[in-house]
Amino acid sequence: MDPLSLLLTLALSAISTLLYIFIGILPGTDETATMAPIALTLLLAGLDPLLVLVWFIASIAAFKMADSIPVALAGIPGGVMAVPQVPDALVAKERGLADTILRKGIAASIVGQVVALAVTLSISYYLMPAGEWLRTADVVLGVKVARWFWLVLAGLAVLALTSRSRYVALISIPSFALLIQGLRGVYGRPIFVSFFLGITIGPMIFELLSMLHKDLRQAYVRRGMKEVRLVKIGKISLNPLKILSRDELLHCSTWSAVTSVLATVMSPVGLTILIGDLLRESSKDKTRGAVLAYTVRDAIKNATYIGGTLIPLLVIGEPTGPMAAGPAAPFFQKLDSIGMTPRDYILSRYDYATIVLMILLATAVSFSIAYPILVKYSRKLTLAVFKRVPAEALYGLFIAIVIMLSYYDAKIAGIFGTLVVSLVSGALWKLGVSLGVLFMTLVAAPTLVSLLTALPL
Amino acid sequence: MKDELCYELYGEYISLKELGMSVFISTAFAMLFFFVAPAVSAVLGVQSAGISITLGALGATVGFTISVLVSKVKRVVVEV
Repeated sequence: MDPLSLLLTLALSAISTLLYIFIGILPGTDETATMAPIALTLLLAGLDPLLVLVWFIASIAAFKMADSIPVALAGIPGGVMAVPQVPDALVAKERGLADTILRKGIAASIVGQVVALAVTLSISYYLMPAGEWLRTADVVLGVKVARWFWLVLAGLAVLALTSRSRYVALISIPSFALLIQGLRGVYGRPIFVSFFLGITIGPMIFELLSMLHKDLRQAYVRRGMKEVRLVKIGKISLNPLKILSRDELLHCSTWSAVTSVLATVMSPVGLTILIGDLLRESSKDKTRGAVLAYTVRDAIKNATYIGGTLIPLLVIGEPTGPMAAGPAAPFFQKLDSIGMTPRDYILSRYDYATIVLMILLATAVSFSIAYPILVKYSRKLTLAVFKRVPAEALYGLFIAIVIMLSYYDAKIAGIFGTLVVSLVSGALWKLGVSLGVLFMTLVAAPTLVSLLTALPL
Repeated sequence: MKDELCYELYGEYISLKELGMSVFISTAFAMLFFFVAPAVSAVLGVQSAGISITLGALGATVGFTISVLVSKVKRVVVEV
């Protein structure tokens, strides 16, 4: 690694950390909507894909550590992944344990990411030869089908069956794939960015357009200001090893290792809910159960994001799970500027040791910045963000980036394509379909539609 | 402000008028910077696509900064 790359790694990790601490603390910031467009922008801007991966890994460390801060202090999630922690935080706060869960959550994030990196980087090293086998295509019904497609299809089925509305999720898979391929047929080329962004902002666009409808608007109407109750916290030790009990450390390590691998095909938020609820319900003491569940969920958040990104990226080469097909999707899409996917670029230009070193360096830089900042200034930061940053400005920024990238992708038609996909995605999400189902359908659409049309029925 | 009509989006209270303004300002700056980029890349002698996206994102950030100033925060923080 040359000195310039090292310097860029340190600088990008630091900038990403500071940016995602801010985004993490802001309420209502969806992970895919905030992580993917920025990573995509950096890739399209011509930055070396390995440096963008460094940025991305640092953003996971900071974002997943910061998004539970407003949960602990005010019961408001800083991101979608922090939503399952709200009930645990409310129980802990009632018992005056806000500072306890705050510090345990921050320490658990470090444990989760470190364990997940150790597990996924080791597993990936040994499984890399299997990647070639997974990318081999077989002929099914006269259609060339890569073997990884079946892994995606299995993940899709699991995700659909665990969606709030499983039947709608199941029937939406072929329908949504047809919509995507139909639009691609109209554009005349395999557009991805517009559709991906459309799914990402689907829920927001659907809610916003519902507010313009005379009858639907009433459900959203509020008067005055939103009251946010922010609790006081005591002094927190800077030593993370003093924060977690032996039992909590064991649970965090075990579940981080398990879920980091499962996230290859399963939903990170689903795993966070499942494991956290299991731990909470298995404890006889309600408070102890809530604190343990909150802590372990924080570790799982980092672990699933790391595993869900790195195993598909380093081994399979295709986005086989909702994490890889969602926030990490930009790494799997072909870029004209480099003539291949960023994933292929990274693996063909750098050896495994360099990739591992850069990933570990990004994590170390991110935690060494985020940890002391969040331990010492979490309350002041939350107060400043809540008092100074209007939600409208933030939503405006993300919509503007989506419009610009859609235009870049397919000009004016790209903007309207994004609107169509976002409306359908938003409606399906409202009906209880996980967005992960739609992200993975987007990946599977070409093969899925080819197989559908080749069926002898 | 107390009785101002707002809408709830993702747990936040928003004003549609201010959101519209923010979207307009950020998009206008993003697209302005995006379209100016080829001229900038010609001067710098680098690939236009990369510069377009970078400048567009920079424009959106400029728009965000202005939007922070023109929109009002609709949270009242009670310290307990």
